[in-house]
Amino acid sequence: MNEITLQIDDRKVEAKEGMTILEAAKSVGINIPTLCYHPALSPFGACRICSVEIVSRGRSRIVTSCNYPAEEGLVVNTKSPAVIQARKLISEFLLARCPNVKVIQDLAREYGVEKPRFKLGKEDEKCILCGLCARICEERMGVSAINFVSRGVNRKVETPFQGTLDIDLDVCLACGACASVCPTGAITLEDITKKKPMPILSEFDEGLKSRAPVYIPFPQAVPNVPVIDREKCVHFATGECKICEEFCEPEAIDFEQEDTVIEVEVGNIIVATGFQTFDPTLAAQYGYGKFDNVITGLQFERLCNATGPTGGNIQLKDGSVPQSVALIHCVGSRDKDYHDYCSRVCCMYALKHSHLIMEKTDAEVHQIFTDIRCFGKDYEDFYQRLVHEEVNFVRGKVQHITSTNGKKANQGRLVITAEDPDNGKVSQVIADMIVLCTAIETRQDAGKVAQAFSISQKADGFFLERHPKLDPVATMTEGVYVVGCCQGPKDIPDTVSQASAAAAQVLALITKGKVELEAGIAVIDEALCSGCRTCNLLCPYTAITFDEEKKVSTINEALCKGCGVCVAACPSGAITGRHFTTEQLVAELEGVLA
Amino acid sequence: MIKDGVTARINSPAELEKLRQEILSQRDPNKLCITLCSGTACHATGTEKVEAAIEQELEKEGLKTEIDFRRTGCHGFCEKGPIVVIYPEEICYLQIKPEDVPEIVSQTVKEKKIVDRLLYTDPTTGEKVTYESEIPFYKNQERLVFGPNRRIDPKSIEDYLAIGGYRALAKALFNMTPEQVLEEVKKANLRGRGGGGFPAGRKWETTKNAPGEPKYVIVNCDEGDPGAYMDRSLMEGNPHSVLEGLVIGAYAIGSHEGFIYVRQEYPLAVENLSTALKQAEEYGFLGQNILGSGFDFTINVHRGAGAFVSGESSALMTAIEGIVGEPRPKYIRTAVSGIWEKPSNLNNVETWANVPLIINNGADWYNSIGTEGSKGTKIFSLVGKVNNTGLVEVPMGITLREIIYNIGGGIPGGKKFKAVQTGGPSGGVIPEQYLDTPVDFDELTRLGSMMGSGGMIVMDEDTCVVDVARYFIDFLCDESCGKCIPCREGLLHMREILNDIVAGKGREGDIELLEELSQVMTDVSLCALGTTAPNPVATTIRYFGDEYQAHIEDKKCPALVCKELVSYYIEPSKCQACLICLRECPAEAIIGARNQIHVIDQTKCTKCGTCFDVCPARFGAVKKISGEPVPASPPEDERVLQRGKK
Repeated sequence: MNEITLQIDDRKVEAKEGMTILEAAKSVGINIPTLCYHPALSPFGACRICSVEIVSRGRSRIVTSCNYPAEEGLVVNTKSPAVIQARKLISEFLLARCPNVKVIQDLAREYGVEKPRFKLGKEDEKCILCGLCARICEERMGVSAINFVSRGVNRKVETPFQGTLDIDLDVCLACGACASVCPTGAITLEDITKKKPMPILSEFDEGLKSRAPVYIPFPQAVPNVPVIDREKCVHFATGECKICEEFCEPEAIDFEQEDTVIEVEVGNIIVATGFQTFDPTLAAQYGYGKFDNVITGLQFERLCNATGPTGGNIQLKDGSVPQSVALIHCVGSRDKDYHDYCSRVCCMYALKHSHLIMEKTDAEVHQIFTDIRCFGKDYEDFYQRLVHEEVNFVRGKVQHITSTNGKKANQGRLVITAEDPDNGKVSQVIADMIVLCTAIETRQDAGKVAQAFSISQKADGFFLERHPKLDPVATMTEGVYVVGCCQGPKDIPDTVSQASAAAAQVLALITKGKVELEAGIAVIDEALCSGCRTCNLLCPYTAITFDEEKKVSTINEALCKGCGVCVAACPSGAITGRHFTTEQLVAELEGVLA
Repeated sequence: MIKDGVTARINSPAELEKLRQEILSQRDPNKLCITLCSGTACHATGTEKVEAAIEQELEKEGLKTEIDFRRTGCHGFCEKGPIVVIYPEEICYLQIKPEDVPEIVSQTVKEKKIVDRLLYTDPTTGEKVTYESEIPFYKNQERLVFGPNRRIDPKSIEDYLAIGGYRALAKALFNMTPEQVLEEVKKANLRGRGGGGFPAGRKWETTKNAPGEPKYVIVNCDEGDPGAYMDRSLMEGNPHSVLEGLVIGAYAIGSHEGFIYVRQEYPLAVENLSTALKQAEEYGFLGQNILGSGFDFTINVHRGAGAFVSGESSALMTAIEGIVGEPRPKYIRTAVSGIWEKPSNLNNVETWANVPLIINNGADWYNSIGTEGSKGTKIFSLVGKVNNTGLVEVPMGITLREIIYNIGGGIPGGKKFKAVQTGGPSGGVIPEQYLDTPVDFDELTRLGSMMGSGGMIVMDEDTCVVDVARYFIDFLCDESCGKCIPCREGLLHMREILNDIVAGKGREGDIELLEELSQVMTDVSLCALGTTAPNPVATTIRYFGDEYQAHIEDKKCPALVCKELVSYYIEPSKCQACLICLRECPAEAIIGARNQIHVIDQTKCTKCGTCFDVCPARFGAVKKISGEPVPASPPEDERVLQRGKK
């Protein structure tokens, strides 16, 4: 594009052909007020507040800078008396129309208008008819759920036929684009659609905060770049919008991008797929999902984090500070209805949370526990410190949680009823906030992972190690190791130790550079193999695969442990165990007996 | 002769002339022909019934073959419609009712006698005028564009061909290059008749030279000014002249597709235009290979949905695109980027209808008519407080006085002229001292008004200019599209202020505030509707500022129009206690009895003016006053009427 030079307010401004005066002015930091302008939309030229005076071919006139093209040699005055007079009157018009809108009041004040000389409009009028809402809906979202209706002084923004007909004309996607561009807060989605807008909840903030469809997954994410949520992005729903693409200066947005499968050839695999936490909605007695102020331990973690949704302030849903907080242990753990095992980390983080609550608020803290297990190094000291900090420890299994305000769930305080499992003693604790210490459980797709790596799972779903004491990180599959919570609940020190062990084992193999195979493995005589594939299914190490070309089964020598199952099962007698052929065994027997 | 149903495509200019001769040879110029004006205004005054009566009478008298009967377009003298003209003598009968028809047929048609009572009577001399062309209303006009209306049946292409129709098209296509056509129009200095007066030739050239294909040509027939119907009558009465001009323009510009934007509220225009389009296609004046020249051109008709603002060129083009007709910024002209961002040349009906004249007669001839800056003629819709209302076509440069007095016949009822409003809602009022101003684009603009599309509303002394300004602003409040703030909010507040002023609630500073609003609206509104919207207010303040002052300061309406500012009272010395006003008063506000002087109870009076209207003129007892206190009524015991003691 050609470079052009124009003059704005006595300054020489370099611009590119095709730019508007407004864009040229902005590029050098000259401020021109705008109302109906939005960089993502085509200029509308309706509010006229961006008017400037130009001298072009010797003629002086007032034009709107949002759509007047920057021309070579153009002389622009953004603050001429006529321009200021026009802006002043326009802001006065708007103030008369919307007397109680702050943005308008501020704009008017900037031009010295405190009180309009005209009759005032409706007290609650907020719409300045800039059309941003209707235009973004049509131009970018491709929906046109709203538009202007009526003419002249009766113009307003409305839905088709003002929703008076029985035909369903509600085409709104409830995307919220209109409300997000409205400069005066005049648009609410409830006025436009009967559909309920569903905020997109931030996964990282555990649903405590909403996020945009394009977002950086979490602070310091690696790589620290935004991603587009295909499920939620309007472009993937309607093919329109693409506003982000337009704004991204390095042109990094690529809507055509697809998932790619990367194949890597490796000699060892360390499986560290982690865990998920127990979904407390499955245990109705805890009232999670029913009461706003019943949250999980991870949600609490975000709540008291400085980068979290409240900036680290521990507060209730309504923004107030809790007077009393209860932490409930063993939600889903050590419970015959859910998981029998102990999740191992909850006691200690419950103690940590308690400490943070005491530090940040004046709230009283209750711990509802069945047993406190401070098994680690120095853990007992921390427990004792909390006891001294006057945390109230109540032994009991929670029976139910109710509200002091009966049926109105989210008004009033919360009452926890718990029963001591040993003596049946029932205690009640009143709290404003309840933190549930949810169980660690295997990930939903753990079964698939186990299958992919030929590793076994215990009844509770955790991956099975080769030997719990003698070989706790290796698996029955050669070269595959398990580490962390996918192997069983554990805290950070334990996980680190296990990971180091796995790394050491892998390094030992890598340093050696080669693997010693078992000598006594099975071999298939291809000439005899009928291709029945019986052995394929029987092999416990998934060492046998079928060669589609030769139509015979083949054995992966690295995986075969020489167990002999296939040898015994082969109906054609095509498989023999090396060093354990019938002839060898007979010879051995003969030797022994001789 | 062309038979119905047979395709009659004309493939060369020679064939066209042959056809024309054929048509003319079958027409006897001396054959008796009754023509009846069938324009919209005459429809309103009953032309349909007259038409049926003529048909019936001719049938009855067995004259159907002997006598031609033709329904023509608007003659312009709408005040006196329906109009019947009998050829070849051009005997003109006015305000014809069905019951007049037998007399016309028996007397004039059969006996060649004139029916005196149906002729035009000169209001000043009382003389009868027999021939249409001698009626002063017509005599002082120069009807170049509008004239053929009365001679042809708009539904008959043969009528148009008979008066030389499509000759200019043939000339342009075969004897001139597109450049020559363009040069001729430029040389003729034809200026747009739609309002702005932009030179049509220059606009054509811009579109011709603009990059991008296809190029479009457009007819703007979205006339919407209150009281103006020139374009309508032209489209209804002579649609082929517009089509011919459009095809010539398209040829000059290099366009092969045109649009005609016509209001749906003009049903007769839509009907006659559609008929004309069909005929023009059949005859080969439209479509592929026009007249065998190799030039192709098609026309689409877009029926508008009744928005005044759609007459603005960019709004009109938006409407053609199928979007709500709202103006868009024109920093890049529509001639360069119009419909679907393609070069689009828009002119109004009258401008296009001028084109065949220029091509036929040449730019020099055209330049001989009019003033230095404005050439040719202009059709005005002369309405309001003037004796002869109707459509008038006058050469540019004629004075306003000549139009109003010589053609319009002056102000009725011996009232005094006050002002004339030109240019519709975007125009302004012109007071008496400028009546000798020549009608010219630039002169009218200089006076703060504009030529506009040709609306001309005459006002007499009984007209309140503040009320007139309020009327136009009110009209614009509804007709502005509402897109840009200065126009929408400016009009709203202007209306509020004017409503206050006419209601006696005007405040000091209102005039200055109105002037400030006018200035800013003119400076920064988005389209021409907004920038010219304050004209009615600005010009009335400029020329009749004292009337505004009177309304605001003295709470007085000098023209006695503004209801809130006038009072009625009965002058005791003149009241004859006739009981008429007492009986007629809808508010029962008049107190009185036989032989008892009537008085008005001001607390009950609704100021409807009935008493004023019904009080016999010879008494003239009811008075209308403004800006002064109502004189006290005589005490009850002094109200007995003293007859004879005057």
